[in-house]
Amino acid sequence: MTLQSIDPVDVGARLRAAREAAGLTQTDAATDLRVARTTLVAMEQGRRRVRIDEIQHLARLYGTSVNAVLRCEAAHVDLVPRFRKLSTANDEAAERAARLLTDLVRAEVELENLLGVTRTHNHPPARPLLPGDVRLQAENDAIALRQWLGLGLAPVHDVISLLELELGVRVYVRPLDSRVSGLFAYEDGVGACILLNAKHPRERQAQTGVHELGHLTSRRQTPDVCRFDQHDDSREERYANAFGRAFLTPARTVTVRFQDLTAGASRFTRRHVILLAHAFGVSREAIVRRLEELGLVKRGTWDWFEAHGGITNEQARQVLGEPVAVEPDSREAQRPVSLRLGLLAAEAQRRELLSEGQLARLLRLDRVELRRILDAADIDGNDTNGLPKLPR
Amino acid sequence: MVCRSCLDERAAPVVVDTSVVINLNATGCAEAILRALPNRCVVVEDVLLELQIGRQTGRGDADALAVLIEQHLVERARLGGGGMSHFASLVSGSAAETLDDGEAATIACAIDRGAVALVDERKAIRICAERFPNLSVGCTVDVLAQHHVQAALGPGLADAVFNALDRGRMRVPDQHGQWVVDLIGKERAALCHSLPKRLRAG
Repeated sequence: MTLQSIDPVDVGARLRAAREAAGLTQTDAATDLRVARTTLVAMEQGRRRVRIDEIQHLARLYGTSVNAVLRCEAAHVDLVPRFRKLSTANDEAAERAARLLTDLVRAEVELENLLGVTRTHNHPPARPLLPGDVRLQAENDAIALRQWLGLGLAPVHDVISLLELELGVRVYVRPLDSRVSGLFAYEDGVGACILLNAKHPRERQAQTGVHELGHLTSRRQTPDVCRFDQHDDSREERYANAFGRAFLTPARTVTVRFQDLTAGASRFTRRHVILLAHAFGVSREAIVRRLEELGLVKRGTWDWFEAHGGITNEQARQVLGEPVAVEPDSREAQRPVSLRLGLLAAEAQRRELLSEGQLARLLRLDRVELRRILDAADIDGNDTNGLPKLPR
Repeated sequence: MVCRSCLDERAAPVVVDTSVVINLNATGCAEAILRALPNRCVVVEDVLLELQIGRQTGRGDADALAVLIEQHLVERARLGGGGMSHFASLVSGSAAETLDDGEAATIACAIDRGAVALVDERKAIRICAERFPNLSVGCTVDVLAQHHVQAALGPGLADAVFNALDRGRMRVPDQHGQWVVDLIGKERAALCHSLPKRLRAG
């Protein structure tokens, strides 16, 4: 296909989408391209045919590739404008994360379209906020969701897999600015999407994941940026925080475990904290704060530990044994793409639908990291002739 | 097993794609390889830009390539008018029939200069065969198996190839697979996940 055979209006619309995704104005782009703003407007409206060198210049300016702009199947999802309406507007770290989330969702949607795969969304029933105590509603909604998922009151050790595989949420774990814990967005046709900070410990990723699950349950049309350094006392945030705590550490289960562990003890020790945190897969602070909230220990208990040397990883290693047991699937949290997305990428490459360069750019990965993922997803290599066929 | 490199009989320049640069850097002896290779080595702007993105994740390929360019072992190239026309045809259209900018620019530059395009990508090789049957296409293994390179590295060649497989997860086309395994040995081949399973199993 030649550039001339593509409708200039379509090319212009794609260039405009790429510019907006990069957060640049028409004036910014025109200045960089050394043309008048009116010329750039004409290009974006398809009134002036754009030359390939101009598209190349703009694609580089927008941090993308000519192929990503001109590829027919390129999915055009843009979640960034939704985030701009939040109070975190003008927050560069949040905007960067929103752009990354958009890119990853776009990549997954394009891969699904190319492979003819339909994503099954099994999102929880919406439970809008009701008048009254939001914390109580969050506790009840979290337990109701657990029942709906068939989890009962047992601890959940792999929140990311649960979100992705049981609830059909698109989950990505990538390094973000340390102040940003995660993002949530929902769009019809795309479904719920969550981005978690790979720099944070696994327990914190889990807590952020269920916090965003709270937003999906209560107010899915409004995106959320979960920030470490921002105290938001809105009803939505109080609901999401309480929902997360109740989902990961159900009151009844925590109470029973606490009573079992502390039976016969006269003091609440570091050992108790370490064992309880490990049992629920949450941070040591999170479990103590939860015990305080449930009235099982006095308010200020965590602050007391903090003031008296804290609870160290070394102490946790001593209590839990050396090495600390690693769950087989816990490395999922460190993967830059989920297992599902890795499999889609491997299949797209196997069928020669996308090249290594296209996949690397689409998934925002360097080539070697991409190869590692493709190799892991393709353990049978190209020698698939003898493998059983799936009924279709 | 003897490996016939497509570069043994060709003095034409080679235009290297991103994947080839990464593999050569992963060998740990890119400089020695390029000094031994009689073909002039060219890299296009788009490949340089792609490698620079890797800086954000701590990859050193852009810096390593910059050193090779400074030593005049690699020449930077920009696409001319003819090259841009081929480039446009390779990046616009359906996903299955297009390539990313670095791959497309590498091929376009090779066509424009009558050079050999070095790409390690099955889809890119297929597109070249279908649309540019007169274009010579090779891969990283063709560089490593070139007889001057083999002679220059001597016994170090096996380590270089293993490093490219281990650190760079180099892709190896079917016709070169057995040569690679014979060179690095079955034990080391078993550790290389980028090799086809039948070659790893020995």
